[in-house]
Amino acid sequence: MGASRSAKLALYAYGIVVIAFLYLPLVSVGFASISRARYLTFPIKKYATKWYSSAFASETVMELLAVSLRIALIVAAISMVVGFFGALAFARYNWKHRSLFQKVILLPIFFPQAVLGLSLLIWFNALGIIPDWKTAVVAHLVWIAPIATLIIAIRAYSFDPALEEAARDMGASTWQILREVTLPLLMPGIVSAGLFAFLLSWGNFPLSLFTTGADSTLPEWLYAKVVSGYTPLVPTVGVLSVAGSLMLIAIAFAIFHAVKFASAKSA
Amino acid sequence: MVGSTILKLDGLSKNFGAFQALQNISLEIFEGEFLTIVGPSGSGKTTLIRLLVGMDEPTEGEIRLRGKRIEGTPANKRPTCMVFQSLALFPHKTVGQNIEFPLKIRREPQDRRQERANELLDLLRLPRDYYHKRIAQCSGGEQQRVALARALAFDPEILFFDEPLSALDYRLRKALEKELKDLHERTGKTFVYITHSLEEAMVMSDRIAIMNAGQFEQIATADQIYAKPVSKFVAEFMGEVNLFDIDGSERSGIAASALHSRENLNLGLVDDEFGTLMVRPEFIRQIDGEGNSDFWVFGKLRAEYLLGSRLHYEFECKDGTTLTVEKLREDRLSCVAGDEVLLGWDVENTHLIRSGG
Repeated sequence: MGASRSAKLALYAYGIVVIAFLYLPLVSVGFASISRARYLTFPIKKYATKWYSSAFASETVMELLAVSLRIALIVAAISMVVGFFGALAFARYNWKHRSLFQKVILLPIFFPQAVLGLSLLIWFNALGIIPDWKTAVVAHLVWIAPIATLIIAIRAYSFDPALEEAARDMGASTWQILREVTLPLLMPGIVSAGLFAFLLSWGNFPLSLFTTGADSTLPEWLYAKVVSGYTPLVPTVGVLSVAGSLMLIAIAFAIFHAVKFASAKSA
Repeated sequence: MVGSTILKLDGLSKNFGAFQALQNISLEIFEGEFLTIVGPSGSGKTTLIRLLVGMDEPTEGEIRLRGKRIEGTPANKRPTCMVFQSLALFPHKTVGQNIEFPLKIRREPQDRRQERANELLDLLRLPRDYYHKRIAQCSGGEQQRVALARALAFDPEILFFDEPLSALDYRLRKALEKELKDLHERTGKTFVYITHSLEEAMVMSDRIAIMNAGQFEQIATADQIYAKPVSKFVAEFMGEVNLFDIDGSERSGIAASALHSRENLNLGLVDDEFGTLMVRPEFIRQIDGEGNSDFWVFGKLRAEYLLGSRLHYEFECKDGTTLTVEKLREDRLSCVAGDEVLLGWDVENTHLIRSGG
C-alpha cells in the first residue's frame, strides 16, 4: 500500500526544490531591500531599514503608489460591472451571436501585451488623445475585463437556470430577479473577478509602459530604475508593492470569512 | 370538490424548428381537481407544462384561464405557480426567506410575510425553527416541503408540478405522494402534475392524461385507464398486459394462432374490423381442461419472479409469444419451470381495443 519511504522522501524533496525555485528570488528581493550597501551583493554584510523610511518619505514613491492604486481600483471596479453583464451574455442567455461573442472576447488575451500596448498607443495618437494614467486604465481594461468576464462566467455556468425561471414564475420582474437571485448568486464570482482585476492591473508592466504617457506606475518605475540608477530603494518599493497585494488579499479573505460567519450564525 | 372549468387548452401546438413537440392538444382542467399528465420521456409533457405556466409560447392554439386567453401572458403575470423538478430553491436564502419570496416580490410587510411563512411551515409539518435554517441543511424530503410551501405562499389559482419527486428514494417518494394528495384535499386547490411514473399518477390523481408523441392518448380516471385503455400504447404503459391480435374476417375472430376460444363467443366485432384483445395478467388462471373458460392457451413455464406480495410468471405459448400471469403469494401456481399447463380466462375480464377496419 502507498509509496515506499524513499519515494515519499523524493516527492518531498521535489516539492521543496520547486517551491524554492519559485520563491527564493522573491526572498532575495526582500534581503536586497534591507541591505545597507548601495549595490546588491551576497552575503549581505550590514542590514538597515533606512531604505524603508526613505521610501515612505519619498514623494516620488508616494506618487507612484497613488497612480498605481488609482488605476488598479478603477480597473477593478469597471471590470466587475462589465464582467457581470459580459458573463450573463457569455453564459446565461442564448442569443444569436453568442458563440461569436465568446470567441471575440478572448482575443485580447491572446495578443502579446506589448503588441496590444503598442497598438493602443498608436490608436490614442490617431485619435489625438495624450496618454496619461487614464489611457492606461483603458488599456488595462482591454486586457483585464475579458478575464473578469470569464471568471464570473464560470460561476454563472454553475447555477441552475431554473432558479431564475422559478423567480419569474412567482411574479418577479427582470429587475427583481437580478437583485434577488442572479446578483447574490454571482457575488462570489464578482468579488474574485474584482480581486484578480486589481492584482493584474497593479502588477502590469507592458501595457502601462506604452500607455501611461507622462505618468508612471510602480512596475514601470522599478524597471526604469534598474536600467539607470539602481539603489536599494528599488527592491524596497518592490517589497512594498508585494505587501500591498498581500494585504488586499488578506482583507478580502477576512471579509469573506466574516460574511460566511455572519450567515452561518443567522442560520 | 371538483367544479367548473378553470383551464382550457384548445388546439395547442408547439414546434421547435421542424420538430412538432405538441400536436393539436385540447384539454379541460376542472377547478379543484388533481390531474396528472403521464408520458414517457420525450412525449412532450415538459413542453406542455412550460406553455401552461408561461415560460414558452405555443406555436398555435389557445389557453384560457377562467375563459380569459393567457397564452401570450408571461409567467410572472400569471396567477399560476410551478414546483420545479430541481425544486429551484434559492441556495443563498434561508428556508423562511425562500417561503416568503413570492410575498416579498409583492412587497408585503415583513411581519405579515413571517406570519404567513410560519403558517405554511405548520401546514407542511415542518418545525417553526426551520425558518432560519439554510436550504443545504435540509434533507431531500424537507426541501420538497419547503418548495411546496413557497409555491403555496404564492397562492396560485393552479399549482403545477414538474416531476418534483423523481430524485427521491422509493420510500420517501411513497410517503410524499400521500402527503401531496392529502395537501390537495386540505387546500382545495387545482393541482396539475406531470410525471413519467404511472404508479405516482394512480396514487394521487382524480384524472390521468396519458401522453405520447405530443398528443393525448386517453384522459380518464386511473381505474378506467387501467381497465379500458383506448390504445395498445396505453394498455402497455399501464403495466403488464397480454395482447392478442383480433381479425373480424376470421371465423373465430381471432388472428393469434396460440389463442383458443369457446365456440360462438361474441367479441362484438364487425366484419373486417381489426383490433387487439387485452387481458391483464391477474385475471389468468390455471384450468383443468379445454373449454373450462372462454379463452385458453397452452403455455410452458419459462420463469417465475417474486414481486413481494405477488408472483409474476412468464409462459411461452405455442407460437413463441409470451404470456404473463400474476398471482398473489397465497394463490401460487403448482407448476415448475418447463411444465406445460393450460391457462384460461373469461371474456368479462378482457377488453377490446379497436383499431379500425
